[in-house]
Amino acid sequence: MSSIVVNGKDESLQDGDTVSALLERLGLGARYALVERNGEPVERSRYAEVRLEDGDRLVVARPVAGG
Amino acid sequence: MSIQDQLVIAGRAFRSRLLTGTGKYDTFETMRDALGASGSEIVTVAVRRIDLDAPGDDITAYLPDDVLLLPNTSGCETAEEAVRTARLARAGGLPDWVKLEVIPDPRYLLPDPVETLRAAAELVEDGFTVLPYVLPDPVLQKKLEEVGCATVMPLAAPIGTGRGLKLRDTIRIMIEQAEVPLVVDAGLGSPSHAAEAMEMGADAVLVNTGIARAGDPVAMARAFKLAVEAGRTAFEAGIMEEQAQAQPSSPVGGTV
Repeated sequence: MSSIVVNGKDESLQDGDTVSALLERLGLGARYALVERNGEPVERSRYAEVRLEDGDRLVVARPVAGG
Repeated sequence: MSIQDQLVIAGRAFRSRLLTGTGKYDTFETMRDALGASGSEIVTVAVRRIDLDAPGDDITAYLPDDVLLLPNTSGCETAEEAVRTARLARAGGLPDWVKLEVIPDPRYLLPDPVETLRAAAELVEDGFTVLPYVLPDPVLQKKLEEVGCATVMPLAAPIGTGRGLKLRDTIRIMIEQAEVPLVVDAGLGSPSHAAEAMEMGADAVLVNTGIARAGDPVAMARAFKLAVEAGRTAFEAGIMEEQAQAQPSSPVGGTV
C-alpha cells in the first residue's frame, strides 16, 4: 500500500490522490491550507492537478494568530 | 482623505496608520471585534503546521475580507527558514507581502540583523513586498532600504513588554533619514506610546499585545486608533518647540 508522510505522520495514499483530494480526506476545508511537498511549496491553483506519489513528504500549514 | 495623507507602502495606499497583530486574544470573537474597532487595514498572521488530530478553528473566518493579511516569519531563526515560510504562505494564497522576523533569541525576541538582511534581499529578489522587523539601527536601515524593503520596522521595546519607546533616540535618527515608511513595531503598551511614535514622525505603528492584553481589547483598539490619528495630526500640525524658560500665556502688565 502506498503511503505518504503529512506533518510527520504516516497517511495512506489512494490511487490518483491529488493534493485537493488529500486535503478533503483530512477534513481540511479551510480557506487557507498551505502545502509544501518534498520541500517545495505547491501553488494553490494547482492543488487539484498535483498528484501525490508514494513516499511524498508533505507539510500542511495555515495562517494562525500571531503578531 | 487625500492620497498625500495616506500611508503608502509599495505603491499601495492605506487610510489607517495602525497595523495590528492577531496574537494573544482570549477568543477569536474578541480579536475580530478589536480589529474592527482599530480600523486597521494591515493585519499580521503567523504560519504554522495544522495539527491533523485537532485542527481547531480557522482564524481567517474571523478576519475581515477587506484587510491585507500580512504573514509573519515568526519562529524562524535563519534566513532559509524565513524564506521557506514566506514562499509557502504565498503559494498557498496569502498576499505576497511578508513581515520578516528572524529571531534566534527566546528571552528578548530580538531579531538577527545579519539573517534578516540576507532573507530580505532574497525575498525582494523573489518578488515579495518585505517589511523587516529589526532593532533600531540606522546603518541596518540603509542596507534594508538598498536591497528593496518596502518599510523598515524598528522595535520600541521587546515584543510583549509594553514598555514604550525605550529606544526612541535611535528611532528618531531612523525617522530623520528614512527613505521608505518607518513603522514602529513592538513594545507599544499604551495609546500614548503610539501617539508619541507618530508625533516623532513615524509613518505607522504596529500593535498587538497592547490591544490584545488590555482589560477591554475592543475599547483599547479604539483608543489606539484615536492615538495614532492624534499623533499623526500633531506631527503634521507642527508641535511647538520646547522652551527652557516660562513664557506667560496671559498679557504682562495692565493688571487690575
